[in-house]
Amino acid sequence: MKARFFSFPTVLMLLFVCFAAIDVSSASAASASSLSGEIPIGAVWSMTGAAAVYGSSQKNASELAVDEINKSGMLGAGKIKLITEDDRSTKEGAITAFDKLIKEYKVVAILGPTLSNSAKAADPIAQAAKVPVLAVSNTAGGIVEMGDFIFRDSLSEMLVQPNTIRETKNKLGYKKVAILYGNDDVFTKGGYDAFKKALNDQGIQILATETFNKNDSDFSAQLTKIKGLKPDAIIVSALAEEAAGIMSQGRQLGIPDSVPFIGGNGFNSPKLAQLAGPAAEGAITGAAWLISNDTPGNKAFVEAYHKKFGANPDQFAAQAYTGVYILANAIKTAGSSNPTAIRDAMAKIKDMDTVLGKFSFDAHREPVHSPVVQIIKNGKFVLYK
Amino acid sequence: MLELPQQLINGLWQGAALALFAMGYTLVFGVLDIINLAQGATFMWGAFFAFICVTKLGWSLWFSIPVAMVGAGLLSILLDRLAFKPLRSLTSGGLVLWGGFIVLLVGMVGKWAFPVKTGITITGAAVMLVGFVLDYRSIRPLRIREVPHLAPIISSIGATFILVSLAINEFGAQVSRFPANLFPVKPYHITADAVISPIQTLVLILSLALMLVLSLLINRTQMGRAIRAIAWSERTSRLLGINVDYVIAQTFFISGALAGAAGVLLGLAFNRLEPTMGGEVELAGLTVIIVGGMGSIGGAAMAAFLVGMIRVLSVAYIDSSFRDAFVFALLILVLLIRPSGIFGRSKAVRA
Repeated sequence: MKARFFSFPTVLMLLFVCFAAIDVSSASAASASSLSGEIPIGAVWSMTGAAAVYGSSQKNASELAVDEINKSGMLGAGKIKLITEDDRSTKEGAITAFDKLIKEYKVVAILGPTLSNSAKAADPIAQAAKVPVLAVSNTAGGIVEMGDFIFRDSLSEMLVQPNTIRETKNKLGYKKVAILYGNDDVFTKGGYDAFKKALNDQGIQILATETFNKNDSDFSAQLTKIKGLKPDAIIVSALAEEAAGIMSQGRQLGIPDSVPFIGGNGFNSPKLAQLAGPAAEGAITGAAWLISNDTPGNKAFVEAYHKKFGANPDQFAAQAYTGVYILANAIKTAGSSNPTAIRDAMAKIKDMDTVLGKFSFDAHREPVHSPVVQIIKNGKFVLYK
Repeated sequence: MLELPQQLINGLWQGAALALFAMGYTLVFGVLDIINLAQGATFMWGAFFAFICVTKLGWSLWFSIPVAMVGAGLLSILLDRLAFKPLRSLTSGGLVLWGGFIVLLVGMVGKWAFPVKTGITITGAAVMLVGFVLDYRSIRPLRIREVPHLAPIISSIGATFILVSLAINEFGAQVSRFPANLFPVKPYHITADAVISPIQTLVLILSLALMLVLSLLINRTQMGRAIRAIAWSERTSRLLGINVDYVIAQTFFISGALAGAAGVLLGLAFNRLEPTMGGEVELAGLTVIIVGGMGSIGGAAMAAFLVGMIRVLSVAYIDSSFRDAFVFALLILVLLIRPSGIFGRSKAVRA
């Protein structure tokens, strides 16, 4: 009987209790010396590979924000130390980067990764280690659902599209539309689903739903069919390259300029106007951020970014920049660099002034701020009025 | 039904461009009995040759199109020497050519400072030139091989990878485009509702003209006679004193030039050039030459228009998601009913 008292499970449990106690004490020790010295924050961007174009502006913007915060003394004696890792636009790269940041650098929070695909593979690691993750560019479904330590400041397509449809419908008064979308890509298919739901909710008739494949260059058959149906507007869920082809071929086939092309996040690239030229004029898309926004600090951000990197920031830069400020704000409110405390403080953020506008997290750690609708005028995106 | 004329125009001009591509494809098959899967990469490089001429050298489009055709034709000859000829008969010159090619690749891809990189590239090119001449002048190959039919297909897939990688290295993986206003965009009205743009008209006219030239070349000239003789029997042609290697090189040149022309025209029409643009037309072209009858040039041209029409009409009247399904259904149907293709004949008759 005596031997049974110290049975293996019991010992194991005792050990656990001991370790837990040590863990708690070390954590509280950290918070006692809070906000002094360096606070390590990890960032995982796709700096090489397919998504490198987004990753580089995210890296620039996050470095800019960290510099500003450290200079301003926002965190008292504390300084943010940003540790940036490249996930090479792959899942494997993101997993390695998360592992390294959490185990080696003991970061208190992680920004990124750039792609939703990588997030789905890597975020569970941070969730298990109880390190908060703030995604700044993941727009797919099923991201924040991975756990209570996963946040994002990037609006999902499901939130952006209904707003785009509502605003354009109010102004243009269209009643029947045609849809054209890429049916072999998760992103463009997701955009189509969001549009379809928004159109049905607002009672707009869908005359035809046409599809194409990734890397198609000819859309004339679909567009001829659409032209024959005489829609009031054409909804396109495609990446910038295909969208450019669709617009130039559509205008060439004689679809009148009074029928606008309305698209999703795929339109949000300077490449669209570049590739489609005059055919891109009047194209409308929803977005989380616009360079000419009059949100607090936006002008200063655009100027600082341009001065430092010699280029204008894009939406991805603005969201990464906001992400760093959200984390800094949470650290400040928590008054501690304890990951769990930061998580709790972040979940309570309401009406914070950011370059994206008044920013809050809802109960599901999804971002709440109003998206914008933009239109291409003279080859540039401007606010749709 | 209102949009039918427009859909027919869509199908017609694309069928014409596809016909250009497929005729070259089927020509090489007819002569050598090999499927040159690198034809798509030649198509892509043809488009990029014209792109370089227009954007970097500032030449006019009318001059750039023939230059691009010649460039693609020469590329195709080189491809034969590197990927196919060593399989037929290996010569010491061929080995030198390959050695030079590897040096050239290292020079082009490597990241060295200016004089080293250029030096290696030029050395590689010079060695290749020597190898090419040696290979051409060699009378007795090291050995003549009987390789399985699969070998040239595999080596042409390899050649495709090399050519596509080189293009990515040179132009980047993103889409390049010809400068705007290179060509008038204002469409001509055929009927009130049906339009055809100037570039599409050019594609149609140029394709038909090149088809005519090709058929005259094959049926009316000494060179065409030699090509047909080799298609019938390479051994007999050799005995009759035909310079077989020279004629094969001519065949590859014609085939490459046609692919290059198709590349420039489709690149212009969609204004979208990218290193992977050969993939789609490759697959469509393969369907076309099988449906048309392997090795039959007229058959390939007819089948190209047929495939172009089916692609367009299936979108117009059925569902765009099933476009490729209909094309491949046609392929399977033809293979079931007439395995040699609609216009295919047995080898002896074909020659």
